Amino acid sequence: MSHLSIEEITKEYDGIRALDRVSLKVEKGSIKGLIGPNGAGKSTLFHLISGVEKPDSGKIRFKERDITAMASHEISALGMGRTFQTLQIWGNMTVVENIMAGMNRRLKGSLLSYGLWLPRVRTSEKEALKEAKEILNSLGLLGSWESMASQLPYGKQKLLELGRALAMKPEFLLLDEPASGLTLKEIEQLSERISQIRQEGVTVFIVEHHMGMVMEIADEIAVLHNGELIAEGTPEGIRGNPQVIEAYLRGKRADA
Amino acid sequence: MVETKKNDFRTRDLFYLVPLWVLSLIAPDPYIYHKKEFKKKDLLYLGAIGLAPLIWSDPHFHHLMVLAGIYAILALGLSLFTGYAGQISLGHAAFFGIGAYTTAILTARHGFSPFVALWTSALSASVVAYLIGRPILKLKGYFLALATLGFGEIFLVMVRESTDLTGGVIGIFGIPWFSVIGFSFDSYLKQYYLTWGVLTGLFIFSKNLVRSKVGRALLAVAASEDAASSVGINVPRVKLEIFVLGAAFAGLAGSLFACVMSTANPEAFSLGFTVLIVMMVILGGMGNIYGPIAGAILLTWLMDFLSRYQEYSLPVYSVILILLLIFFPDGIGTRLNVRVIYLIGYWAKKKKRDEGKL
Repeated sequence: MSHLSIEEITKEYDGIRALDRVSLKVEKGSIKGLIGPNGAGKSTLFHLISGVEKPDSGKIRFKERDITAMASHEISALGMGRTFQTLQIWGNMTVVENIMAGMNRRLKGSLLSYGLWLPRVRTSEKEALKEAKEILNSLGLLGSWESMASQLPYGKQKLLELGRALAMKPEFLLLDEPASGLTLKEIEQLSERISQIRQEGVTVFIVEHHMGMVMEIADEIAVLHNGELIAEGTPEGIRGNPQVIEAYLRGKRADA
Repeated sequence: MVETKKNDFRTRDLFYLVPLWVLSLIAPDPYIYHKKEFKKKDLLYLGAIGLAPLIWSDPHFHHLMVLAGIYAILALGLSLFTGYAGQISLGHAAFFGIGAYTTAILTARHGFSPFVALWTSALSASVVAYLIGRPILKLKGYFLALATLGFGEIFLVMVRESTDLTGGVIGIFGIPWFSVIGFSFDSYLKQYYLTWGVLTGLFIFSKNLVRSKVGRALLAVAASEDAASSVGINVPRVKLEIFVLGAAFAGLAGSLFACVMSTANPEAFSLGFTVLIVMMVILGGMGNIYGPIAGAILLTWLMDFLSRYQEYSLPVYSVILILLLIFFPDGIGTRLNVRVIYLIGYWAKKKKRDEGKL
């Protein structure tokens, strides 16, 4: 049974078709890659899935539930975590608070109980801090847990964003270009980390420009071009697909 | 700190340094605001608040501090909304006004006890905030500022025009002193302890919010709403909750204000007053829970001090505000520690330079 299924999604911006009847399936427990030249509609698709924007037509199902019309925070509450293409960490908080804010959904209690600092709340805060430190430890960020998130170097901020998404204990993770701006060594660590996340039973859907990385970790790859799905299959199949090669080559020529 | 390096200084330098150093001990520093637990310093503040009116037993000072306390309650609520959640409200004086008029009408007209009126005021302000907030909080940035501004002005017009209910421009007189079970707060000293007691309670409440899940949700909403909803934070609800809470604070402050001044009239809730409260939050430091209190004390004291210069007071007041905003853009406590150390280093070097050693 597929974890996420997208059916005939279309999205237009001022008459320009960003996505044209795209259908996709992501199987539970797999890593799926999504590639395509710039402007192919990859980020748009992610925004539609996570509920930041709404499609013009088509349906999105997550865990057999129709999430097309749901608000973004409701979709996250179902267990879908995500990172952003343009880094969206909370620079006004410390590193550990960023992770703890990621757990927000799992911490129970009303505004009043927090204001009165009831014993129940006290213990849950303590446990959250402990758990957040464990997450930071596993990402290698524990050394700077008390510094402001805005003061971290870029690579670590990227890791922090991933950590924040993991803190909400997602079943499904959308990663929007996690490797962009990272050094080769950092990319290696990241791929390892992503494989590890999958082993913990999380489905991963990843948009990435860094071909080597996607080819290495993904079970299946889909290719978008000009808002249309032009190919889908195993990394080996995609590598040899003439349509894909042409789309990328044409893109390259246009760049030069 | 200062004493050990005394040799490097001229006596004149001590004159600059000592007050700055003392201020750096007392003033809340926004640059370390992320360490949010209660500390020993808080006990120091509490002791100072408790002892100040006894040491400085001047009724005028007491009255001034009562007003500062009331403004601080109001600014504290606004600080949660503006400083933490990053939303702009220019209609906060209206909730203050709702609190004051609720108390005025209940006590002066219908003879309820001020204690009952206090809670009713908070409740009525938050109910109005809920009804207003639901549609209005969908707006962002300047649009939210304009909408709340409009709300404040509409409230003012309604108060002025509905003469039967609010007494129009003249307002309502004869509100009794605040009293609980027969104990009447009839002197400025007693009122001082009343307002600062309420303020302390609300401060602890707010600080608990800020250092917990709620505060993190607020900061998350301020920094990036998309990221906040991506981890399951219900952004509209977080905004609404804190707006309603801020209004409840304002309602409490308004009720206390009515009891202290024993009158409620529309002049007190004008746009100028809203701007004053916003200034308190900004001067105290955005996203700094001690800030609104420091800002409220500073501005109340400054206004009172300048009022003796009559026609010059307003220009001087605005110049001081501008200077403060230039030199302390993140609040009056900003990095005073660092500034002291910098000054020590500067003067020590200057002395050596003068002697030709450097």
